[in-house]
Amino acid sequence: MADRIVLAIGTKKGVFVAEAAKKRRAFTLRGPFSPGIPVYPTFIDTRGTPSIYASSCNPFFGMKVMRSTDMGKSFKETKSAPAFAKEDGRTLANIWALEAGSSKKELLCGVEPASLFRSRDNGDSWEMVEGISNHDHSRKWNPGNGGLCMHTIIRDGNRLHLGISTGGHYLSEDGGETFKAANKGIGAGFAPDPYPEFGQCVHKIARHDAAPGRLYMQNHGGWAEWTGPGGPRPDIGVLRSDDHGQSWRSIAKGLPSDFGFPIVVHPHKPDTIYVVPLEPMTRSCPGGAPAVWRSENAGESWKRLSKGFPKKQSYFTILRDAMDADELKTPALYLGTTTGQLWMGREGGEKWECLFDSLPPIHNVKVAAV
Amino acid sequence: MLRCERSVDTAPTITIHLPGPLRAYCAGKAQLQLTVPTVLAALEELEKNQPTLYCNICDEAGQVRRHLNVFVNSDNIRDGNGVGTVLKTGDVVTFLPAVSGG
Repeated sequence: MADRIVLAIGTKKGVFVAEAAKKRRAFTLRGPFSPGIPVYPTFIDTRGTPSIYASSCNPFFGMKVMRSTDMGKSFKETKSAPAFAKEDGRTLANIWALEAGSSKKELLCGVEPASLFRSRDNGDSWEMVEGISNHDHSRKWNPGNGGLCMHTIIRDGNRLHLGISTGGHYLSEDGGETFKAANKGIGAGFAPDPYPEFGQCVHKIARHDAAPGRLYMQNHGGWAEWTGPGGPRPDIGVLRSDDHGQSWRSIAKGLPSDFGFPIVVHPHKPDTIYVVPLEPMTRSCPGGAPAVWRSENAGESWKRLSKGFPKKQSYFTILRDAMDADELKTPALYLGTTTGQLWMGREGGEKWECLFDSLPPIHNVKVAAV
Repeated sequence: MLRCERSVDTAPTITIHLPGPLRAYCAGKAQLQLTVPTVLAALEELEKNQPTLYCNICDEAGQVRRHLNVFVNSDNIRDGNGVGTVLKTGDVVTFLPAVSGG
């Protein structure tokens, strides 16, 4: 029975760990670990004795993977980090995603330039997943503003979904041996062809075990007023698939903007999803008034949740991995801003309160009940 | 970009001086003594005998990491012959992070 809530918070200046009893009345903060070094992904591994993993993206001395086996009281580097073979020609620029693999000790890691690595020993050694890393398309992908990153890894039985910016959505149906681009219905606003085979700037993908075949996507929207080649592309930013990602359709109607980064599914209600619409030009909250938007019918309609947030002059940016939900009976949402505020939204996002208001810029927030 | 390629030369004994963050990768040592003719040979020696330390200094392709400066005594090797810089007995090779970031 879980009695604690643990948050792993990846920031521009290291990783922090916050902890509270499950009533979430008061959080204590530990860290920073890997101080001064950007941390992008974190992963709280609850398979067996809980561990916390984090990248340490050291601009001077290279990429590391860190592991804590004492719930964030200390971190140690694993024995190695993902690395390309010397003859490959690519060099690791960043680590963007850490997720559980198919066995207890297996980890999957998405990196920049977009490639996938697998560890079978809790991160001590790594091997490249050739099927996507050397895919025929892989040398044709282009970097977005954040770099050419593989940021989303979703396992669903023998299926593996990957999100690449800018590469699009790739699907394996054989456990990660082979992959195909699966981008039907996913728009690209920055290319003359509005619906290319691949090359979309996918921001985040989410799913729920209780909704087989369904996926939700926050794509790079904000192209409703485009007048160049290919014409306007309204509502390409928030999408849903009901066929395991083979095809996608817009669910952006009703949102103030279809641009945003994170998308999160309610832990117990597969039809309930959350996004944070941002103005596409500034990538901040519309009107300087932060709000999370919730759909309780899989994207058919949306409701604005802003109770507790500032009503004006607050230009939050929430990055793709900076929102998560805990798994308690009445879950809370958590989001981190690039201005260093960590917010908690009780009752599924109905009531927001700021837990910490002066952290370094936040890249990533993950939560687990342990 | 500084490319690490093999070279052969005389073999003076030099000192590698390591900044604090790198000492954890060589049992806490602040200095290493090597008998090598060039900076490149020093890197090759580290790759062979101190592989974890080496990974912090050079990337997978064998390039000295972009934000790392290599000094021979007080001279940045970028201003000389790069990793081909010839060493003489008593030289001190220092790896230092560039001043950058915010």
